Amino acid sequence: MHYEIRLKGRLAPRWAAWFDDFTLTHEDDGTTVIRGEVVDQSALHGLLQKVRDVGVPLVSVVRVAADEERPTPPSTTSRKARP
Amino acid sequence: MRAQPQPVIPVTVLETKLFVPRPRPGQVARSRLVERLDRGAEARLVLVSAPAGFGKTTILTEWLSRLGAGARPRHAAWLSLDRGDNDPAHFWTYVVAGLRTLVPDSGASALELLRTPQALPVEAVLTTLINGVGAVDGDVFLVLDDYHVIESRDVHEGMTFLLDHLPPSLHVVIASRSDPPLPLARLRARGDLVEVRAADLRFTPDEASAYLVGSMGLPLDRPDVEALEGRTEGWIAALQLAALSMQGRDDAAEFIAGFAGDDRYVVDYLVEEVVQRLPREVHDFLLETSVLSRLGPALCDAVTDSTSGRARLQDLERGNLFLVPLDDQRRWFRYHHLFADLLQARLLDERPELVPKLHLRASRWFGDNGEPAEAIRHALLGGDAARAGDLVEVHVADTRRDRQEALLRGWLEALPADEVRRRPVLCNALAGARLATAEVEGVDGWLLEAERWLEEMRRHDGARPDGMVVTNEDELARLETGVAVHRAGLSLGLGDLEATVEHARRALSLRAEDDLIALGAGTALVGLAAWPTGDLETTHTAYVECLRTFEQAGHVADVMGIALTVADLELTWGRLGQALRTYERALELVAAQGGGPPRGTADMYVGISAVHHARGDLGSAREALRRAEQLGEANGLPQNPYRWRVAMARQLDADGDLDAALDLLDEAERVYVGDFSPRVRPVPSVRARVWIRQGRLDEVRGWARDERLTADDEPTYLREHEHVTLARALLAEGALDDAEVLLGRLLAAADAGGRTTTLIEVLVLQSLVAQRRGRPADALAVLDRALELAEPEGHVQVFVAEGRAMLDLLEAAQARASAPGHVRRLLAAYGGAPPEPRQASSTTLVEPLSEREHEVLRLLATDLSGPEIARRLVVSLNTVRTHTKNVYAKLGVNSRRAAVRRAEELGL
Repeated sequence: MHYEIRLKGRLAPRWAAWFDDFTLTHEDDGTTVIRGEVVDQSALHGLLQKVRDVGVPLVSVVRVAADEERPTPPSTTSRKARP
Repeated sequence: MRAQPQPVIPVTVLETKLFVPRPRPGQVARSRLVERLDRGAEARLVLVSAPAGFGKTTILTEWLSRLGAGARPRHAAWLSLDRGDNDPAHFWTYVVAGLRTLVPDSGASALELLRTPQALPVEAVLTTLINGVGAVDGDVFLVLDDYHVIESRDVHEGMTFLLDHLPPSLHVVIASRSDPPLPLARLRARGDLVEVRAADLRFTPDEASAYLVGSMGLPLDRPDVEALEGRTEGWIAALQLAALSMQGRDDAAEFIAGFAGDDRYVVDYLVEEVVQRLPREVHDFLLETSVLSRLGPALCDAVTDSTSGRARLQDLERGNLFLVPLDDQRRWFRYHHLFADLLQARLLDERPELVPKLHLRASRWFGDNGEPAEAIRHALLGGDAARAGDLVEVHVADTRRDRQEALLRGWLEALPADEVRRRPVLCNALAGARLATAEVEGVDGWLLEAERWLEEMRRHDGARPDGMVVTNEDELARLETGVAVHRAGLSLGLGDLEATVEHARRALSLRAEDDLIALGAGTALVGLAAWPTGDLETTHTAYVECLRTFEQAGHVADVMGIALTVADLELTWGRLGQALRTYERALELVAAQGGGPPRGTADMYVGISAVHHARGDLGSAREALRRAEQLGEANGLPQNPYRWRVAMARQLDADGDLDAALDLLDEAERVYVGDFSPRVRPVPSVRARVWIRQGRLDEVRGWARDERLTADDEPTYLREHEHVTLARALLAEGALDDAEVLLGRLLAAADAGGRTTTLIEVLVLQSLVAQRRGRPADALAVLDRALELAEPEGHVQVFVAEGRAMLDLLEAAQARASAPGHVRRLLAAYGGAPPEPRQASSTTLVEPLSEREHEVLRLLATDLSGPEIARRLVVSLNTVRTHTKNVYAKLGVNSRRAAVRRAEELGL
């Protein structure tokens, strides 16, 4: 699922890695939008918790249709450890 | 399961989690907020809810440091929560540990309950906890910091229960980054909630000034302060960073201008400013240690591969760089959460390739220093699954012994599946971890994997097959037994009782002599499968075998729990003498070992009281119960609070104090902790029997309806007690046909199952039915059989409890009984029995009631009050009182209820 999360304030690009490699763009209205693939609801809530913990005010969470057809990655037997 | 060995080492409690933080020097005093927090003494919950860096912990520490002042003593216990506290047993253990810092002996029984392996109702724990807090003089505040890390619904539900049942002197304080899912609206509406939110925590311009100019000594004027306050919106963390940026800088005004004019995220900007100006080594140190949740000098050295850890930490603390001490001796620190997140983000960005190395260094240090949980966590974060797998495997036995099932499961589920698959020990452990929470999903699959490896090993003649990894040889040696135990557990979970017994028996035969865990588990599983079907023999045999082994091994603590089960079965068979010997033998073992009475001694005394009670020796029964009580709540096994109360209620019933008995039964229900043994004497059924004696047949009918019991039921072992209660109810109602039929079926079932205690009771009831039918010969014949069965073991109470009616039968039986000795014994018991309204009287009144007194008596049987009766009879209230007094005197009672009952008996 593709999500766009809008935050109030300009966040440095460095934060992209922190947010699980989402893309980070600065909007003209002074907000920052992070965009990316979210595997499921649990992952989404985990992401929102990170947003909460960074302390930046959350403006909106929007689910968008993927721009292009992306092949679903094959499920791997090894899972990444979560911090 | 009672049969499992008790933990030898108590679960270690991390002192750092309980450490009450101190206010930092130079903290800005915030009296208005402290005053608001003070109002918490009149509320149930104080909630400090705001994002990171708003000074939640700080304001609480300021408030706590001022708790001493004030008329009423106030105390606080602190608990810093982390993700591990999502395990309810873990969470509540720490809550109890926190309260014990205030009341050293409180919650001992709660801690014991928390150590039992089966899922326990939190209510039972919390009830004992709440009672413990009552011992403190004044108000107690339980502070839970970082509550937002809690996601477990079980914990939230437990907290809700706690909040609903708080004694007036106990208050909860929660600091969280988001509002917790607790009934806040309800608390708010009732005035039971005190809130401090982000808007309250923001620094006002005055407070900002006090901080920047006063505490930090910055040469700023009012417009400067206001500019900073405006840009940061009073966000304390940002102000702190700004202050740090400006320290030692002579261009404060320029900085402020630049800062105010920049639109970057405040924290980004400021951290950049601060961190940029740090010397290289400090900068690197901060980034590298940001992966740690806890910092100590030696650990930091290991992670940064240097020797300057101690000096660095001291500098950082002095420089006020967001380092929080976790104890008084400056052994452990952590970074302020927000700062840690920022540093980690920088690290990920600047030196991503370093991250795994840092984690592995940390893992190695924790592994060398006896902290497996942290070692495993860091190994997983560092991506070294093999190392994590090694560590988990090495610690499988410890975690199981310490009842840390949830922890073990967490580790196993975090490992990559491939890693688990290569390790037969872990395959079995994962199966077991799932079963421990009564989950059957995937268990079969993991057991198959383990069995596959066992088969491979057999084929290789014991040599290590390719691809298999083992780091715990001891666990490998007992693997086959362990798998059999889990197969038994899985079968039980799937409801296949035969298979359960089969696998369990196999485990028992396979086990190594010193594998007492398998002994306990295997025995318990046999019992769990066989007992509910009424196969008491199989259960008894398995448990006695287990008992003897534990006796020989000298595991006195385990002996108690098993002896309890063995005696329960013997009591069911009516073998009072055998049961008594079982209890006494266990107590002898205790005496031989010396030391204090181990846990479970109280249970032995409760059991002994049951034997004395059955034999009609109420004095000895009472004495045994007293001894049990004296040993204290913590001495009882988890079911003891319930068992003691049921036994005491039975005592009160025999003494004639039925209302007190009912109260105690209610309590018993509240403290009931289920274990796997079948519930063969449910409280509602026991309660119904008291109601029958009180004549409250409506309520008894309600009970029968609720439990869906009818006279047409086929009796089963599990519902035997309830069906006998139903038979008693039918008898009391006069439904003699139904009673007869039901009792006939119960007789056959009890006889077939060898359950002599019930058999005697049923025969007694049958004789009473025959008596009511006016068939004395039949009654005596049935009674005769009961007496024969009762004599060898001395069953007395089952007869005497039936009161007057039975006494008549016994007197008639004297002449021709087959067990005349027992009849004499019973009659003697009546003579010495405590006064019971029904027994002491005759069937006619010495002095008959007058007509007026009859009228009053009739109305006493209704719901009308005294004045209403007076109005009905058109007399004064005083007259009614006089009549009532006379009625009581003539009936030989002293309460309205008793008068009504007596009148019923006499057929007035």
